[in-house]
Amino acid sequence: MSEPIIRAVNISKKYKTRTVLEDISFDVMQGEFLSLLGPSGCGKTSILRILIGIERPSSGRIYKGGADITDVPPQKRNIGIVFQNYSLFPNMDVYHNIAYALQARKLGKDEIDRKVMEMIETVGLEEHIYKKPKQLSGGQQQRVAIARTLVLNPDVILFDEPMSALDAEIKLALRSQLKEIQKKLNITMVYVTHDQEEAFALSDRIMVINDLRIAQIDTPYRIYHDPADAFVKRFVVDHLDRKVRSIEDSIR
Amino acid sequence: MKKQFLPFNGLFRHEALRFLAVISILLFAIMPLLTLAFHVTGNDLQYILKDPGFRDAVRNSLFYTGTSALITTVLALGAAYLLSTSSLKNKNLFVILLTLGMLVPTVSVGLGLRILFGTNGFLDLLFGIEIEVRGFAGLIMGSVMTSFPATFLILYDALQYEDKGPYDAASILGIRRFSTFFRLTVPYLRIALISAFFACFTLIFSDYGMPMEIAGKVKTLPMFLYDQFMSSFQYGRGSVAGFVLLIPAVISFVFDLIFRDQSVSEKQRKLIEAEKAFNCWTAAVLILLCLLLILPQLAFISLSFTKAFPNDLHFTTAHVANIFSNTHGVGLSAYIVNSLQLAALTALTGTCFAYLLGYLSVRKPGRMAKAVDLLALSTIAVPGLVLGIGYIFLFKGTNGRFYGTLLILITVNVFHFLGSPYLLAKNCLSKINSDYEVIGETLGISKGQIVVRVLIPGSVSTLVEMFSYFFLNSMITISAVAFLCTYDNQPLSILITTYEKNSNYEMQSVISLIILFLNGVFRVLFTAVSAGINRVNDREKEGGAALSRYAFDFLTYLEKHGKGTYSQRQLADELTVSLSSLSRLTHELDERNYINLLSDGQMEISEKGLKALEPYRVRKAVILAAGFGSRLAPVTLDTPKPLVKVNGVRIIDTLLDALVAKGITNIIIVRGYRREQFDQLLEKYPTIHFIDNPEYNITNNISSAVCAVDSIDRCYICEADLYISNPDVINRYEYTSNYLGAKVSETDDWCFKNHNGFVDGYQMGGTDCYQAFGISYWNSEDAEKLKADLQRVYHARAGKENLWEQVPLKIARKNYKLEVRTCLKSDMIEIDNFIELIAADASYARYPGYEEFQVRE
Repeated sequence: MSEPIIRAVNISKKYKTRTVLEDISFDVMQGEFLSLLGPSGCGKTSILRILIGIERPSSGRIYKGGADITDVPPQKRNIGIVFQNYSLFPNMDVYHNIAYALQARKLGKDEIDRKVMEMIETVGLEEHIYKKPKQLSGGQQQRVAIARTLVLNPDVILFDEPMSALDAEIKLALRSQLKEIQKKLNITMVYVTHDQEEAFALSDRIMVINDLRIAQIDTPYRIYHDPADAFVKRFVVDHLDRKVRSIEDSIR
Repeated sequence: MKKQFLPFNGLFRHEALRFLAVISILLFAIMPLLTLAFHVTGNDLQYILKDPGFRDAVRNSLFYTGTSALITTVLALGAAYLLSTSSLKNKNLFVILLTLGMLVPTVSVGLGLRILFGTNGFLDLLFGIEIEVRGFAGLIMGSVMTSFPATFLILYDALQYEDKGPYDAASILGIRRFSTFFRLTVPYLRIALISAFFACFTLIFSDYGMPMEIAGKVKTLPMFLYDQFMSSFQYGRGSVAGFVLLIPAVISFVFDLIFRDQSVSEKQRKLIEAEKAFNCWTAAVLILLCLLLILPQLAFISLSFTKAFPNDLHFTTAHVANIFSNTHGVGLSAYIVNSLQLAALTALTGTCFAYLLGYLSVRKPGRMAKAVDLLALSTIAVPGLVLGIGYIFLFKGTNGRFYGTLLILITVNVFHFLGSPYLLAKNCLSKINSDYEVIGETLGISKGQIVVRVLIPGSVSTLVEMFSYFFLNSMITISAVAFLCTYDNQPLSILITTYEKNSNYEMQSVISLIILFLNGVFRVLFTAVSAGINRVNDREKEGGAALSRYAFDFLTYLEKHGKGTYSQRQLADELTVSLSSLSRLTHELDERNYINLLSDGQMEISEKGLKALEPYRVRKAVILAAGFGSRLAPVTLDTPKPLVKVNGVRIIDTLLDALVAKGITNIIIVRGYRREQFDQLLEKYPTIHFIDNPEYNITNNISSAVCAVDSIDRCYICEADLYISNPDVINRYEYTSNYLGAKVSETDDWCFKNHNGFVDGYQMGGTDCYQAFGISYWNSEDAEKLKADLQRVYHARAGKENLWEQVPLKIARKNYKLEVRTCLKSDMIEIDNFIELIAADASYARYPGYEEFQVRE
């Protein structure tokens, strides 16, 4: 792991009556897969929204590649996002979902075509170019959503619980697919989830969040073997152990 | 210069727009009311409170409004309940007929009643019946007729969203319908009923078109107000009356704001159909109601074609023919243009404005979003009459620039009708995923682009509905426009009131007829447009709809028959299309590279063509093989029927071979009786999966289907005891869900009718019908429904006694459109009893114990 691509320094987020983040700092390394893991309502989605720039921290700064981007609008941060429900443009086919952002940037037709087709190949959707989102499976929709952000060549892609809408079986297949894409393009990914197994299956590092703060940020191995506090032990280690035990029981 | 934070900048732009929206509603809908208040002096108030004329008017209005609102609500509740619980086919037709009254001005309804009942009215002339209709009787009758459509729609709409589960449960439990009405429907509708009553009350209370015709000597509040303004010029006193008119509307508005559930939910489907007798009764009652409701319309239509009412009742088209001539008639064409122009412009600006308000109130959070919402909704409470006089006060100074122009008419209509279309827009926009704007921001796509490319395409049918609402209402409105139009720009509806003053029945009738005709035409047009849009949407949802039916047939034909020379004539015959559409199709498929046209005149399906067929490929087959097969005893005493050998081949092998030959290897067999014997199939067909049905001997085969419910998706569901002699009854691709059947002139087996290509009327035995063979195909969409319906029926009382196919074909047949897929009777050999078994395989004639079995039976 090399340089940090994103540095979040002393971030707090307060709404009128409620504090959701309190003075947290962390780095995202170039090319890594970082998961933000925590129970619902722990503030992980707020971090994501602050990183992407649709929400502003109450205090603290965000840096990307050394430059302060706290006041830079989302479209100029070169950070992509994939939402839980993918939010594909319903009336456009796969091709145009991916091409739309390029068209809005007034690129040449040939260049758009080349980039889009390249992207479609990368995520393996050649067969479905002319289908509308409604006609795609959940997994295919997710690939379109990834391609749509990838085509702008972002430095980082953020994922907001992208698997929670899918069947267990498809989830497994998609995990390896996602990992493959990440390795292929060597792109930094920040992944929000409340699913412990998912975080462990995908991540280079995991950031466990609880009670407005970072409980631990480390590799899966270290988190499992050396949990920082009682919460991490209960929320991560005990949960995984229980899971393993129940599977062992049922196949014994 | 300090760098700006752009997202917040965007927010400011939204807030600026919201500010403008708030200002415009305040100016054009709220300010006019406030100016009324400025014209009221203490003297006016004192005078009017002592004025017996005013007190009479209030008392009269309260009396007839209360009575008729009560009657209307009860009638509307009955009609809405009957229609929504019945299983009538043409429900929408009834809705249209019951709401026909919405297409004419209320003054025309009053007119119709006078023509019917008055001295020298139709009833008098034809039957000698004379009823004094002018007065309370007419007011109540007319009010019920004019307010019924809106009240009915509120209640009918509310019933659409009611959970139908309890009704299904009740009918399974044998609870009487009468009881469910009071125990389920009325409690559920409690809020909607009160709200409908208020809406109805407000409507009647502030209407002055209908009373103008029919009130006779009875003075109502709107008429009092009108007189104060137009004849006595007592603006202050009129304004007091205006505020009294506002009271019920405000109560109604506040009630809705507090109690009415504004959350957006999905419409519910009913599973169990109503019995036939109930449907017949419902139809009879509703038709009678429709007839009563449209009596006034019939009256003025008849009068339009009567030579000289009441003296010469002969038929004539002269009145109608004279519409456009200036010499004999009045030259109505100018007013028709006025009306259409006003309606179209109101609808256009109104739709845009209401949509914008909806956008501003739900698509982006902000401090003023709530203010926009509240103000837009509050316009519902302002009666047109009050709005109209408010405009006089407020804008009189702009004479010639705004006041007295078409612009003020459009404006007053837009704000008068704003509430309902705004609600439509708001509901529609709040259903659309809220992340699009964020996605747009991160991708650098502007909000305007998102609106144009995503939101508007997603709300086309709502926009049509909004447009239609503005248009139809502008065509019939009198209240606000009456005060503001000039002689030159007055629309048709106002013209009626002019002729009312000199009791010219013919002209009033003809004008009413024109409005009814125009609104009828536009209503049909709007309905057709939104039906078209829905069809397009449905087709897109249908999964892989890139292929048309013809293209699908063409490609599967080529796929099946391989590379070869096909004459156009031969293809056209096989695919049952005309030669010209075939050549168009060939050209189109070639253009899309779905087929290869080879230089030697040969043709084949291309790789891309195969890929295009991929979404239609049959993924798997579910075979129901759990049953005992009692009619083949004694052979089945030790062997399940599917495994019985006929001419050396197990019955089920004919099906399995046909499936495997078409590449369908994902096969699920639900077994029960002697299930261990099925394991022998694995030798020849290793890809089979088994599901065990432990309940096979205490339930009907619905339990087997429920066992396999998770496997149902883009699959065949087959019975296991079909002896298939033509393997082509199994296809590699299926376009849509269907059920296999062979046309027969008579059968005592299960059969169905072919209704425009779709399965209808599944029953045991019939003539001139399709004998049902137990092979059906289920696409994803129908499979989803089938899963839910199977489980629902299975868990209902006595539900386990059903055959599985009775669920989609009978019990819940409304939910499915299954195509009839035809084959020949000879494609299957029926082996339903021992005689038929011997007929197929003579060796069974010597089966041990067979005679004994025969004797016992």
